[in-house]
Amino acid sequence: MSKIMTVDVLSSIKGAQPSETVNKLFEVIKNANASNNNSFNGNHNNCVSLDDLRDDVVVYSPATEKQIIIENFPKEKNGYLVVSKVIEE
Amino acid sequence: MDSQIRKIHQQLMNKDMTCTQLVQEKLEALKQNTHNTVNALLNDTALALAAKVDAKIANGKPIGLLEGIPFGIKDVYMVQGTYTTASSNLLKHYKSAYTATAIQKLLDAGAIPLVKENCDSFGHGSSSENTIFGAVKNAKNPELVGGGSSGGSAVNVAKDYTVFSIGGDTGGSIRQPAGYNGVYGLKPTYGRVSRYGLMAYASSTDCVGPIAKSIEDVRIVLNVISGKDIKDQTTYTSEAISEDSILNSDGITTVGYFKNFIENDAIDAEIKADFLNTIEKIKAKGIEVKALDFFDSNTLVSTYYTLAMAETASNLSRLDGTNYGNRIEAENLKETYAVTRSENFSEETKRRIVGGNQVLSQGFSDEIYLKGLNLRDEIAANFEHDFNEVDVVISPVTPNTPPKIGDSLKDPLAMYLSDAYTVGFSLGQLPTITIPQGTATGLQITAAKNNDELVLKFANFLKDTI
Repeated sequence: MSKIMTVDVLSSIKGAQPSETVNKLFEVIKNANASNNNSFNGNHNNCVSLDDLRDDVVVYSPATEKQIIIENFPKEKNGYLVVSKVIEE
Repeated sequence: MDSQIRKIHQQLMNKDMTCTQLVQEKLEALKQNTHNTVNALLNDTALALAAKVDAKIANGKPIGLLEGIPFGIKDVYMVQGTYTTASSNLLKHYKSAYTATAIQKLLDAGAIPLVKENCDSFGHGSSSENTIFGAVKNAKNPELVGGGSSGGSAVNVAKDYTVFSIGGDTGGSIRQPAGYNGVYGLKPTYGRVSRYGLMAYASSTDCVGPIAKSIEDVRIVLNVISGKDIKDQTTYTSEAISEDSILNSDGITTVGYFKNFIENDAIDAEIKADFLNTIEKIKAKGIEVKALDFFDSNTLVSTYYTLAMAETASNLSRLDGTNYGNRIEAENLKETYAVTRSENFSEETKRRIVGGNQVLSQGFSDEIYLKGLNLRDEIAANFEHDFNEVDVVISPVTPNTPPKIGDSLKDPLAMYLSDAYTVGFSLGQLPTITIPQGTATGLQITAAKNNDELVLKFANFLKDTI
C-alpha cells in the first residue's frame, strides 16, 4: 500500500516546508527546453571500468581509528554504541 | 607574486629562520586574527612536526620542497584525531577517525597543517556566513563577506596566515572566495584529486583544490595531491605538470568567452568594462578571441542547484546522530532522527535537504531532477563543442563585488544567482582557475577536461599581459 510522505518526513526535519526560493529554481528547470530526452546519456559519467574495480576484500580499521570511532559515539556503554529505542509501527 | 613555497624553502635551508619560528609566527597570527577564519588550531601537531624539520636541517639533511611549509585545511577534510565540524552544530564535537587522501599526501610530503578553516556549513553557501563560528570577514574589507564556501581558506592565504590552503569546490567554493580576496584558487578537473575524506556535498561535482598566492604554488601543491586513489573510484591517473611546461603560452592561439555572461543587466558595469578591456589586451598579443553562445545564468544556476540539492539530501541523510554527531534523544528512533536534524542543521542546510528530497520524490523527479540531468548533459556537450573551437575560455568570477556581511542570508536567491559564472564549469567537471587580475573579483580560466596544464599556462601568460 502506498503512503504519501511529505518532505518533512522524507528529510527527517520537523515542520519542513518547500522553500519559495528553491521552487523558483525548479520552475526554471520545468520551463527549460531540453532537447535531449535521455537522462542517462552520460557526458559526465564517471563509472569505473569493470577491469578496474577494487578488490572485494575486508580491510580492518587500525586500533587508533576504532578508538576514535568509539569516542564519537553519542552514547556509549561498556564500549558499545547505545542506539535509540526502535518502535514497531 | 613569486612562489612563497620556494622562498620559504630557501629560507629554511639557509637557516634564515627555523621551522619552529615560522610555525609559531603563523599560529600566533591565526590566533590573533579577527576575520573568523579559524575553527581549530593544530598547535601541538604543528609544533612537533616543525621540530622534526628543524632537527633534520640541523643534521645537514636535505628537505623536500613542501617540508616545513605551513598550510590550512577547510574544515570539511578528515585529519585523524582533529575535530572536523563542517562548521555545523551537528558535528561540533566530531573527531576524524582517518585522514583524507589529499591531506595525507601533503603530510607525506612534509607540509605542516596549522588550522581547520571556517567555511559555510557542509559547503552550503557562497559567503561563509552559514557557519557556527561567525561570518568570515573579507581580507580586503572586513565589512564584506569572505566568500564561500571556502572563505576561511581564501582569507588565510590572502592575509599570509597560511602559505597555501586546501579548499573544496562544488559550484565555485574555491574560485569565488579566491576572487573576493585577491588570491589564486584552482578547481582541478573532477577526478584528478581524490575526494576520499572530504565530507560529501554534491559528489558529482565535489573537487579538492589549492588556494595560494602564486601560480607556481598552485602547481606544486596540485602535483602532490593529484593521482588515482583506490578509495575514490572516480579518480584517474594524471601526469605531473612541469614548471617549464607552463612558462610560455605556446599552443594557445584562440580564447573564447561567453557573450551572455557579459551582455546582460546583472553584471556590475565596472566588472564588465574591466573584462572587455582584458579581452582587448589579449587580442593585442595576437591571440584570436571568439565570443561564444552559452546557457543563460538562470538555467545554469537552477540546473546546478537542483542536482546539488538532490545529492546533498542523499549525502547528508547519514547524519542522524546515531553513530556520531550531536544526538538529541527523543521518545523513539524516528523522533530522535528528526529532532537531532531539526535542531542541528542550519536554515540553509535544511533548505537544501528539503529541496533535494522534493526533486527526488515521485511526481517531481521526472520533470525536475531528470530534466536537470538532461540539461547537464547539454551543458557538457556545449563545452565539448566549444573546446574544439577555442583553447581556453575566460570569464569573470562573479557578476558583482562581494556583498556586505548579512545581506546574503537575507536573500538566498540573490546568493544562488551570484554563482552564475562558476557553476557551469562545475557541471562540466572542467579545470578552472581564478586569478586575482582582470576584474575586481578576478578572472576564471577554463580548459577542456584533464587539461589543467593549459589553465596554469594561460594564467602565467595573463600574469604578464594584463
